Amino acid sequence: MLELRNLSKSYAGGRPVLDRLSWRFKAGEFVAIMGDSGVGKSTLLNLIAGLDTPDVVPGESPIVIDGIPMSGLDDDAATRLRRARMGFIFQAFHVLPHLTLLQNVALPLLLNGLPTARAAEMLDAVGLGGRGHDFPHQLSGGEMQRVAIARALVHRPALVLADEPTGNLDPDTAHSILTLLRREIKATGACAIMVTHSQSSAEMTDKILQLSKTGLQETTIVNPFAQ
Amino acid sequence: MKHNPNMPSPPPRDWTVLTMMLLLAVLVVASFASLPLKWRDFFTMEAVNGTVELLQGFAPPDLSSGFVTKTAWATVETMAMSALGTLLAVVAGLAFSLPASGRFGGVARGAMRSMLNVLRSIPELVWASILLIAAGLGPFGGTLALAAHTAGVLGRLFADSLENAAPLPEQSLRANGASATSAFLYATLPQTLPQMLSYTLYRWENNIRAAAILGVVGAGGLGQMLKYHLSLFQMQQAATVIIAMLLLVALVDAISFAMRRALTR
Repeated sequence: MLELRNLSKSYAGGRPVLDRLSWRFKAGEFVAIMGDSGVGKSTLLNLIAGLDTPDVVPGESPIVIDGIPMSGLDDDAATRLRRARMGFIFQAFHVLPHLTLLQNVALPLLLNGLPTARAAEMLDAVGLGGRGHDFPHQLSGGEMQRVAIARALVHRPALVLADEPTGNLDPDTAHSILTLLRREIKATGACAIMVTHSQSSAEMTDKILQLSKTGLQETTIVNPFAQ
Repeated sequence: MKHNPNMPSPPPRDWTVLTMMLLLAVLVVASFASLPLKWRDFFTMEAVNGTVELLQGFAPPDLSSGFVTKTAWATVETMAMSALGTLLAVVAGLAFSLPASGRFGGVARGAMRSMLNVLRSIPELVWASILLIAAGLGPFGGTLALAAHTAGVLGRLFADSLENAAPLPEQSLRANGASATSAFLYATLPQTLPQMLSYTLYRWENNIRAAAILGVVGAGGLGQMLKYHLSLFQMQQAATVIIAMLLLVALVDAISFAMRRALTR
């Protein structure tokens, strides 16, 4: 589904953040990426989403999604790929305050030119059925993240990227949000990559990858959800 | 006073502020001293009698149906000039605010902000004097003059609103596959729209007053009527025009206040 091949990223001054990172993510798996602050976890998500560009290695395509090399895409094509195949969830939710919950969730469908009927179904699925006409300021943090999850999954993306999705939530709400995220990902068969600092959050995924200066390494986990 | 060693040290005295205050005071005194202000002449019996006579000339205002109708049409013309001038300024200001908010890079931002500075540094009256030569006498030149100055003001205010808008909603939409235009229209513009509308209404209020004044240089409306009747010492007709101006400004102030309140609710 997603393949990283010798992915490197350096910032100004030549400081390398990611150094020849390689990994293959399969469809339908829920993966957590952990690591120290500043090791490049969010940078990795931004690179996968095409929001940032990796170091250029002539003749190589460091990020390949469903067989499509990201490096060959211009900004418009990368935008179209993100719109059709990706969903992004943020720590701070980023739900649009001037739109109703239904309009927020329907946005990816509108952008993709798809019928918007599924927006109500998704709101129902995340436990906010009947509140479609409410505005975000009427919601708690946990409810807002539910809306963000519904928005990220409504257009059935093949790849879901989540950057600290439970970072602003209390442990109980975080647990219920991740249970929901996991259920929806499994229902749609998407591959999900979640960056987190929380061990308990990571343990709700299928696989934990530790990101360090030496690259990505899988750590063994035993949890009731792992398949 | 002796400093208590148990308390934190007092902040250092800022001599820059004191110097600035002193310079300002000198400037005010110098302004009064340098201008030939004849305060004593202003309060002589002769001056007071002259003023009373002038004010008595305004009463009663000319309320004949013919003149009131003429004034009403001029009021509509002034209102139309201000509304159209503001509308043109909103369109131009919005277009200018995009490069001025840095959306097309630093060079375009600097160039556009310089142009907006020029537009708004030239007052409406000067714009009207310039544009009346090109567009001729009448409300068209006045409308363009209002639009030119207000576009400079609104362009700058809109650009600042766009720059100050929270960037994360737009970034989140971009991350979820929205094009740059869609992300701007769905995330940033709605955030700034209430503020932009508020600025627009406020400038419309200003433009009503400015439109009334612009008539004096031949740009039509109430101002042109006022200048005409004052120059012929037809004070009763001038009084009617001044009352119309006051009513118009009060009406627009009330509408604008109500709309701005509704927007911030």
